[in-house]
Amino acid sequence: MAERSDVEILEDLLALENRLISAYEAALRRDAIDVALGETLRDHEQEHARALEQALRHAGRRSPRASVPTPELTAALRSRASFARYALELEAEALAAYTEAAAAIRNSRLRQPLGSIMACEAAHRIALREAVGERTLVD
Amino acid sequence: MAPFLTRREALGGAAAALVLASCGGGDPPPDTGPRPGSGAALLGSLLALEHAVAAAYATCEEVLTGDALRNTRAIAAQEREHVTRLQDLIRDLGGDPPAGRSAAEYARTFPRLREPGDALAFAEDLEQRQVRAYLEALTELPDLGLRSAAAEIGAEEGAQLAAVRVLLGLPAAQGPFVTGAL
Repeated sequence: MAERSDVEILEDLLALENRLISAYEAALRRDAIDVALGETLRDHEQEHARALEQALRHAGRRSPRASVPTPELTAALRSRASFARYALELEAEALAAYTEAAAAIRNSRLRQPLGSIMACEAAHRIALREAVGERTLVD
Repeated sequence: MAPFLTRREALGGAAAALVLASCGGGDPPPDTGPRPGSGAALLGSLLALEHAVAAAYATCEEVLTGDALRNTRAIAAQEREHVTRLQDLIRDLGGDPPAGRSAAEYARTFPRLREPGDALAFAEDLEQRQVRAYLEALTELPDLGLRSAAAEIGAEEGAQLAAVRVLLGLPAAQGPFVTGAL
């Protein structure tokens, strides 16, 4: 697979953040997540998105694409339990993307901040695991 | 800056500073083996910290029970995996991984942990420092493979930090950026 440019890496991360924001906003509207938890997670993702947009502006790019709700999200909104499972998978996807990006991005000044978002996404997974009642929070 | 430290902050911060001072991070890099700039010395520093943290968790476990004990045991098992992974990476670079110190040597530098809150505060501060160390390594390590390993371990440290915070009754995520910002 061809290596992605730094701009492509940032754009892909921003697309993921937009999916997360849409998911938490929809869950809050449909009461599919505890309000305090959902607002915290959504607010964090919004901060991540703002930071990525700023980095993209520095690179001379305008912010791309709005996200469209997927059928999986629509199905997940039926209950808090199903949304938690959906959000855990989406956060896992985000965690993997940031883990890869923090190592691969060529601009070394972006590696540490991307890593700090990576650690936040890892924390989101722990928060969601706690919310579904898991008693052992790390594997 | 806040004018006062809580007892929890004071215990965690001071104790973690002691651990770091004793963990060998200031030891000179190996004088044979890997070429300068290979990243082996930095990995050695991370390994020394992992050794100290693994020993610290063994001490924490003495005062923990129930969910806190179950989770800290799981975290300690991950830390031992990190030790093995870092040792392998250093050997792959032609280096000789630094050995940990004895349990007694580490124990002399640890605070007296009288109750679960003391142990978890100590663990939280150690995890904060580990996350920071791995994120800093992302900037310094010269090779993509080494950075990938540091990122993967750093992600696990982020999860461990969050788990410890939950056990302390704190929000898992302390903010949108664990250290620094874009």
